[in-house]
Amino acid sequence: MNRYILFFLVTAFLSANRLQAQLPVDSTVKVTQQQRALGFLDSLGKLAPSKYWPNVDPDLFLVNLRTFALTPLRFYEGKGTNFCAYSAITYIPLNYDPDGFSRFMVTLYNTGKAKMGKVWFRPGKAIQEEAGLIRYKGALDISPAGQMWFLCLADRFKGYLNIFNRHFDKGDENTLWASTNFAKFNRMLRRLFRFEVHAKGSDLIRPPVKDLYKYLSGKISEGPIFLYLNNRLLYKKNHVVTRFGIPTHYVLLLDIYKSGDGRINIVYWDYGKKTLQQVPPKLLKKIIYGITHFNPVAKK
Amino acid sequence: MKRHCTILGILAGMLMLATSCNHSRKFTQTYYSDNEKTILSIRDRFNRIYDQHPFSLELKDKYLQRIGLEIITDSIKYIYAFNLNEPYLTDTLRRYGFDINAMGDLIIDMQRAHCTWITNLDYYEKYEKKELLFLSVRHQALESFMKPEKYFTMALFNEEQPVDEKNRLLDKEGLSQFRKIHGKVYRSINKRAFYAVTDMYR
Repeated sequence: MNRYILFFLVTAFLSANRLQAQLPVDSTVKVTQQQRALGFLDSLGKLAPSKYWPNVDPDLFLVNLRTFALTPLRFYEGKGTNFCAYSAITYIPLNYDPDGFSRFMVTLYNTGKAKMGKVWFRPGKAIQEEAGLIRYKGALDISPAGQMWFLCLADRFKGYLNIFNRHFDKGDENTLWASTNFAKFNRMLRRLFRFEVHAKGSDLIRPPVKDLYKYLSGKISEGPIFLYLNNRLLYKKNHVVTRFGIPTHYVLLLDIYKSGDGRINIVYWDYGKKTLQQVPPKLLKKIIYGITHFNPVAKK
Repeated sequence: MKRHCTILGILAGMLMLATSCNHSRKFTQTYYSDNEKTILSIRDRFNRIYDQHPFSLELKDKYLQRIGLEIITDSIKYIYAFNLNEPYLTDTLRRYGFDINAMGDLIIDMQRAHCTWITNLDYYEKYEKKELLFLSVRHQALESFMKPEKYFTMALFNEEQPVDEKNRLLDKEGLSQFRKIHGKVYRSINKRAFYAVTDMYR
């Protein structure tokens, strides 16, 4: 009898844990999270100018945080920057914990340092003075909060692509200083958010998946999938036919399905918008170098 | 000795061909004035259609027969590719409520001006959103031996823009800095139109 009670208790405990971990996925809870974030931001009233972030307008900063909490898919990395990886991972806090993200940003604004997951952010003077000054990048120009976050991430996380440009100089948002290789991308996810992350692929060799469509369409219902792509083939910018295939862009895959003619429709998120694009299966295989599956259910 | 001279001559010729930029320099000086009427017509037609439905248009191939159409809504961007003679193009335009005839006229003008890409780019001045029309031209005159293809890109502003003594586009808010577009310095054609020769058309 005791065995049955013990079994029942263990099952109940595990179900409760699972339920708790699943909560952020639920849309009602997401709304509650958003309301909590907005409530927190409202409770701040007006922010005083920060001595740490001299070029961040406090009113615009709060407007930005409200926009992030309400419309996470409008989060924008800026034209021509190398911030796409940072923008892609921002989907996680904005979608699963907008309240926590708002509190993190306000702490960073007020004290010049803040902690997310296992990571402390203590940006230097060059970063603090640049946030709010990045211009001609589209809507990123009017998002000092976005600029703060991107600059802090690029400053804090380094990979082998950043070896030759480790210190920020004006204009480095467009250079290798801000680049992200696949290992760095996955490391950021693992250290910032306490959920399981599974990755396949690399910077130069494509992931060993036989049927990409089947794999991606199977995984998409389990949690967010990030793709590391050769964007020059997906979104051509010149007419050169042969290209050395290297991935340069990160997107969040939102949906994938086949159309009648055998082509594959992919819906992905980047540059503050969803994009629906039709690609032949061969091209899909050619452009994908990395697949990262974020599991919002399984906590580490 | 004669053989050496021939080899040297060939090498010098190849070097001249590779480094020559006469074609492109002449092209940048004359293209706008030669095609001004068509470019202004493209701008007017594009703006009229864009006001109804934001979009970007690409003529993908050398023969200007393959179309890339990006339809932009508030939340999602649709990217389509069609051959001009395919019925899918008109079906899609009809489905999204575009004026098919106006789009046809725009495509003809773009073909005439060798325009490969047209879009509106947003930018901010003192937190105010503004837009400029961005056009790229793909032309045989810009091709040169052993060099990657170049594009003549134009930025058409709605307001007059500041320039320096060498006619380079300047940042309105910080006049000591260049106002770069896609990382390139632009030079003036007139007070509202600017150009650069670039490696990418968008």
